[in-house]
Amino acid sequence: MSEQAAAGKLAAQADDAGGVLTKLIITALALGIAPLSSYFLSRDYLWAGNTIYAALTAIFAANLVLVLYIVGAVREESRLRAREKQQSESKKDR
Amino acid sequence: MSVCPPYAPFFGFAGVASAMIFSTVGAAYGTSKSGIGIAGLGTFKPELIMKSLIPVVMSGIIAVYGLVVSVLIAGGLKPTDYSLYAGFIHLGAGLACGFTGLAAGYAIGYVGDSCVRAYVFESKVFVTMVLILIFGEVLGLYGLIVALIMNSRASEAARCP
Repeated sequence: MSEQAAAGKLAAQADDAGGVLTKLIITALALGIAPLSSYFLSRDYLWAGNTIYAALTAIFAANLVLVLYIVGAVREESRLRAREKQQSESKKDR
Repeated sequence: MSVCPPYAPFFGFAGVASAMIFSTVGAAYGTSKSGIGIAGLGTFKPELIMKSLIPVVMSGIIAVYGLVVSVLIAGGLKPTDYSLYAGFIHLGAGLACGFTGLAAGYAIGYVGDSCVRAYVFESKVFVTMVLILIFGEVLGLYGLIVALIMNSRASEAARCP
């Protein structure tokens, strides 16, 4: 019985580990792509050549990626904790 | 003493390079130092890893600041009709962004390392960690703003005779 529980825990950990890697890769790509693309696109189409506003748009995009990452991390932790509570409650019912 | 000597672009390119180089050194320091703490946390509580990776993401943003300033300055470089005044401005802008990025990365590294280690034992440290990290990242932002302001003055340079 404990072996099954340990195997289940390992599988859940592997599942979460894959999720962490995916999230990290997406964040790294977004951190590279979003500021640069927003700089060039906003400079040409939004601010009519003004480079200061374009750079500020790029900063805003980079910090937006950071905020989205923090929100995603906090939500994932609360989701994990809810799942653990659910599992421990189902064990108690047994 | 000419206003547009042929070695003026040297300072412009040095500005581009220093913005990228020094902010990347700061980001690398921040990533590696907080990575040590995250590796320590990972052995005890692997479910907290996503939240503890926030210092690493913030170090990446410091490098992005250097990248944005480098791209910005490089967009203003010209092969001809480039005065020494513009060269010095670009050098100053690059150095301002680069060294403040170095300072910010240094702060993020130390804070990330110790706060992530404390997060293993006390979960309320998380909000404190994010707040301190934001204050540390804002240092790099100040350097970027100064670099932006300086760079905008480079277009006022006089035409070369």
